[in-house]
Order: sequence, then C-alpha cells, then structure tokens
Amino acid sequence: MSRRHRYEEPEPVPIDPVTGQPVAIRYEGVYKSFGEHHVLRGLDLLIPAGKITVIIGRSGTGKSVTLKHVMGLLRPDKGRIFLGDEELTSFTDKKLRTVRNRFGVVFQNAALFDSMTVYDNIAFPLYEHTRMKRKEIDTKVATLLAQVGLSGSEKKVPSELSGGMRKRVGLARALVRDPEFILYDEPTTGLDPILAAAMDQLIVETQDSRPGITSVVISHDMHAVLHIADKVAFLVDGVVYDEGPPEYFRDHTDPLIHQFVTGSLEGPMKV
Amino acid sequence: MIRGAIEALGRRVLEPIEEVGRVSRIFAFGTANIFIRPLRFRETVKQMEFIGVQSLPIILLTSFFTGAVFTLQSHRAFAMFGAQAMVGGTVGVALTRELAPTLTGLLVAGRAGSAMAAEIGSMRVSEQIDALDAMAVDPINYLVKPRLLASVIVTPLLTAIYDFVGMVGSWYIAMYVLNMSEPEYMKRTQEWIDWDDIWSGLLKALVFGAIIGTVACYKGYYTRGGAAGVGRATTSSVVVSSVAILVSNFFIAWALP
Repeated sequence: MSRRHRYEEPEPVPIDPVTGQPVAIRYEGVYKSFGEHHVLRGLDLLIPAGKITVIIGRSGTGKSVTLKHVMGLLRPDKGRIFLGDEELTSFTDKKLRTVRNRFGVVFQNAALFDSMTVYDNIAFPLYEHTRMKRKEIDTKVATLLAQVGLSGSEKKVPSELSGGMRKRVGLARALVRDPEFILYDEPTTGLDPILAAAMDQLIVETQDSRPGITSVVISHDMHAVLHIADKVAFLVDGVVYDEGPPEYFRDHTDPLIHQFVTGSLEGPMKV
Repeated sequence: MIRGAIEALGRRVLEPIEEVGRVSRIFAFGTANIFIRPLRFRETVKQMEFIGVQSLPIILLTSFFTGAVFTLQSHRAFAMFGAQAMVGGTVGVALTRELAPTLTGLLVAGRAGSAMAAEIGSMRVSEQIDALDAMAVDPINYLVKPRLLASVIVTPLLTAIYDFVGMVGSWYIAMYVLNMSEPEYMKRTQEWIDWDDIWSGLLKALVFGAIIGTVACYKGYYTRGGAAGVGRATTSSVVVSSVAILVSNFFIAWALP
C-alpha cells in the first residue's frame, strides 16, 4: 500500500442561494449541548461573504451559541464549521486564537473593560497585537470615535457612558483591527427606539464603508431585521427553521414565522 | 428511580473531582504562563501594589497587636513558674514559624483574594473575559498570571514585615508594660530564633500566596449567575482559601524540621 501523502483538493466554496454570494462561514450539522440542555440540534447555516446576515429567533434557541462557535469560543459536540475553505472544527486552540484576529465582536452589553478609559478600551487590541506607535494609535482611535459619533470621549470611563454610547464604543473597539468579519450580539437590546435606529444605521454605514466585510447580527428586533439584513435566518430549537431575504419574512404566512414577526401572543409558540 | 439515584450519586462524586481538575488547571496554566510572552510585567507590579502595598496598614496594625497580646499572655503563663525571661524567644519562634505566615495568609485572602475573585467574577458575568478571548488575548495570561505571581511574591514579603513588626510589638509590651530587662529579653530572643524558623515561615507564606492567588482566580474565572454569582464566588474564595491555608499549614509544619 502506498504511504505517499496524497494531495487533497480543498472543498470548493459554495454559493449562498439567498444572496448569490460565496459562502464565508458554513455550519454543517452542528450539535451542542450543555448537560441535559440541547441547544444546537444539527444546525446547517450559510453566511454569505460581504453581506449582513441577521439571525433571529426566540431567547434560548441557540443564537449566541451559534455565534460563539464560529470564533472557537465553543466547540461543537458534533458537526463541522468552515471559515471559507478551512475547517475550524479541526483547528487547535492556538490556531483558533489566530483565527480570532480576523473577527470583531460587539457584545450585547458592550463588555467594555471597566478599569480602562474609552481610549484604552479601543486601543487595547492594538497594544496587544501590533507594534503601532502611540501617535498612530491616537489617530486610529480618534477616527473610529468620530465614525461612531463619540469624538472627544477618549478620557471617559465606561461607567460615565449611557448604554447606547457603550455599544458604540464596543463597535469602535471591534473595528479597530479592520476585521474581515464583524459579529453583533443583540446590538439594539436595551436601547430606546431612536438609539436602536441609530445603531442600525451605524451597522449599515459600517458595512458600506468597509467593502468585503462580512457581518452577522443576532437580533430580536424585527425593525432592524427588515432594514439592515441582506439575509435572515430564523432559528427554532437549535436548527434553521427558514431563511431568505428580509422581504420574504415580512409577509410570511407560516404561523410560527408570522407570530414571531408580528410579536403576537397567539400562535404555535407559547410563552 | 434507581437510575436517577445512581446518576445523582455519580454527579456528587464527579463534581468535586472536576473542581479539583479546574483548580489544578488554573494553577498549572497560570504558572506555565509565567515565561510565555507577553510577560505582563506592568500588570504584575500593579497587582503587587494592590495585594502588598494596600494591605500594609492592616498588616502593620494586626502584627503589632499580635506580638503585643502574645507577649502579655505568655508572660502571665511563664510567671507561674518564674520563667518570664523566656517570653521574647517564645513569642519570636511562634511568630516567625506560625502566627506571621498564617495570619498574613488569612488577611491577604480576606482583603485581596476576595477582591480578586470579585473583579474577575464580574468580568466573567459582564462578558469581559469573552471579549478578551474574542480579541485573541489569553485570559489566563492576562488575568490569572499577574495575580498568581503577585500573590506568590508579595505574601512572603508581608510575612517578613509581620515578623518584624510583631516583634516590635512584643518588645514594646515587654519593656514598657511588663518592665522586663531589655538585655535579657534581647539575649533570649536572639538565642531562640533561628534562621530556620524565619525561612520555614516564609516558605509557608509562599505556599499560602499560591493558594490565595489560585483560589481567587479560580472562583472568579468560573463565576456563573450574575451579581449573586459574583457574591458567592467572593465568599467562597475567602472560605476555601482560609481552610486551605490552615490545613496546608499543618502538613507543612509536619514536613518541615
């Protein structure tokens, strides 16, 4: 029997049927449980490159868990996850850490470091991973703060900021290393409707100003879904129940989707 | 029903084993990270300032009064058989071998260990540790290593200060309250206290420092359940560190000459 190493062709990158774009992130039959609690139950999901994909679903359906898997913060019990043509699930912890450099994450409550100023929060990834000079960092931080509408807030600490301001600082921090992928975990939760609309606009502006960036947004906010998404995936019990462009969901007749979109108490989903 | 009972029994057996595994992991990874870049020198110094310098007032106060009260009580006891001259040496040996490292360990666990557990715990529940991970920054390297290292370095230093100030307290009471003879007090103290007593106390303090740093970081790192979880982690950190200090103290004392 030949012991020579055989060259294996990388798997071709598929095309997302909803947007017609090449797939940037692919979940294939992903299962994840925490003890007796089965969160993901064979998730198949395609995230198109260069577009905004919004994952919707009720609380506890596995949206955040889905997001954490793509960065290697969680590993699936079963199934595969691909980033482009690379299989993430086969990576070592060390290699996963390098993959994370390609991501920016906006956390639900911003997750800013309490002990640091706004400047240090945004500059932190640059201190950690680059040898940029102080002046270059100053310029970068000032530019990002201007982009998120918080110029001159460098010396403030997170406790002096409102919820909306914190999320915008979180976005600036996520963008500071010019990531290929940006993940938003419920970016408008806890904001009033006007601030939520401003955050939605910021997400779209970020997408438009950085061609090629792939965004994944987790949201319950149907207003945001219909205004910012290029693709929507609806999760129920750890699997994609349906997916499509936002207008597909607007007038959907499926009782489950209709109940979620209209926020009705009447329907198959019980409180 | 039988299956449920067996499962419950299994969980009760496995949980403590898992916990020991997680504590060992924090200690092993924290220690292994000491030589892994980035070295976190600035953060370690900051933690040393927090654990050491900010603990100084409480250490100075308690050490002085520990030496003072121990002198007072042992003088009463020794007076019953006319051996008051032994007070200085007795207090010295007790302080350096047992009281200074143990009480310093308990004080550091109560003041700094609880604060470390609370800080890391609140970082966990507010997703700041996830944010570190997401930014490809190893939380063990960034959070655990500096605290563990600072705790191991600073606890023996505070113990040495406890030794000295405790003896000052003892000397003060002996001279100005009990009116003992200073030359005799000093002579007995010097005769009785050996370098081995001091070193064994400092070695214990080093172990206690490792216990405090590991337990505080472990309890904080694995915090679950919001603000209530942070509270539980903080309390549990102090209780577990204190018990571990007192138990390990016995075994170290037994093992050392």
